Amino acid sequence: MSDKKECFEINVIGHKTFQYVKNGSLLDNLEQQKIEVHYHCREGFCGACRTKLVRGEVEYNTDPLAYFDDDEILPCCCVPTSDIEIKVT
Amino acid sequence: MKYTTFSQTNNDHLAEPMFFGNPVNVARYDQQKHVIFEKLIEKQISFFWRPEEVDVSKDRLDFQALTDSEKHIFISNLKYQTLLDSIQGRSPNIAFLPIISLPELETWVETWSFFETIHSRSYTHILRNLFTNPGEIFDDIVVNDEIKRRAGDISKYYDDLIFLTQLWQTQGEGKHVVGGIEYTVTTRELKKKLYLCMNSVNALEAIRFYVSFACTFAFAERELMEGNSKIIRLIARDENIHLTSTQHILNLWAKGKDDPEMAEIAEELKDEATAIFMQAVEQEKQWASYLFDQGSMIGLNKEILCQYVEYIANHRMSAIGLGQPFEVTSNPLPWMNNYLNSDNVQVAPQESEISSYLVGQIDAEVSADDLGDFEL
Ligand code: FES
Ligand SMILES: [Fe+2]
Ligand SMILES: [Fe+2]
Repeated sequence: MSDKKECFEINVIGHKTFQYVKNGSLLDNLEQQKIEVHYHCREGFCGACRTKLVRGEVEYNTDPLAYFDDDEILPCCCVPTSDIEIKVT
Repeated sequence: MKYTTFSQTNNDHLAEPMFFGNPVNVARYDQQKHVIFEKLIEKQISFFWRPEEVDVSKDRLDFQALTDSEKHIFISNLKYQTLLDSIQGRSPNIAFLPIISLPELETWVETWSFFETIHSRSYTHILRNLFTNPGEIFDDIVVNDEIKRRAGDISKYYDDLIFLTQLWQTQGEGKHVVGGIEYTVTTRELKKKLYLCMNSVNALEAIRFYVSFACTFAFAERELMEGNSKIIRLIARDENIHLTSTQHILNLWAKGKDDPEMAEIAEELKDEATAIFMQAVEQEKQWASYLFDQGSMIGLNKEILCQYVEYIANHRMSAIGLGQPFEVTSNPLPWMNNYLNSDNVQVAPQESEISSYLVGQIDAEVSADDLGDFEL
């Protein structure tokens, strides 16, 4: 993980922009901000949390087994490694 | 093409498609065409569990205290789950194994099916605890019209594929008359059947099951039938992996990452695939009406359950490129997520009804010293 920059901004299109807090997954962070994201397993194997990544990069802390598209991420098992812009449905 | 249990063709399996290439010969996993299936096998095996490990004895008292309409909901739901797993415990093996060409996919299907048999066995475990004679419940599954209608629709796609595969394996491509009906067998036709079948399986495991999960967990929300709920949570965790596997298969095809002909078929049959999902949603809504026709239960009614079906369908259909046909945008049953979270589902050993884990522990503690004076 690059630590050139300490805090990353998460912009959830149509909701708000907030600072990523270093502990927990992206999903944990979204929940702390009261943004509803669908989930089941929280471990990267079901795909329920599939979310569009419009801009930026993430890194996985467990090997994601669920199917997701090239422009999508699984927030339950990833963390941002740059400022990111996402779209939750 | 005639099936052989060990093809002696010296083929490069990395060049085989998932289905309808050469039959698998060596069960080797040192190299993989689609590594995802090997990963799914490992994950699934790490989830191994036994129904007997879950104590369901407290459910008996809970059950006796339920109202008649709640009993109807609970039992009908369990019957439906039993039906779905009866189908899933055998069909992927029978329909897919004869036409699979990759060892990792073959083993995935076998692993998947094995876990479905655990699910089936767990329904007997649950029902034995609730009834002195669970036979009547099982007997009703093949005579209950509401269940039969669903069974017909689910097994149809498997049966069509199995039958055409049998014709192909025994008589090859061409026109064949069986029982006065003419069938045209071509690989294209077989692949179409396979494509529709895979969509139907995905609809089953990704949507149909969730209606029944919602009913189970609605009881658990009221702290009722919690042994049953614990078992269904373990089942739901497995089902999450199963639906992931069929999503991968469908997307590998659609995105041209496997058999190019399957990519064409995915495009050609998109409307039919969509219709399979829409039909499943419709049937699940009818099922919801049947469940609640004798009265609702606290926390769940027909309307909410129908909205949940649409919500789940949107998610699952968009995952395989079929869009989001329904209006509903927020989860009408947010508490469902807590039950589907894999962190919450471990079976605690102390809850175990049987003590084999303990026996193992004691055995393991017998060291060489303890046996010092032991002579034969
Ligand atoms: S919640 Fe299952 S993959 Fe994210
Ligand atoms: Fe199952
Ligand atoms: Fe399954």
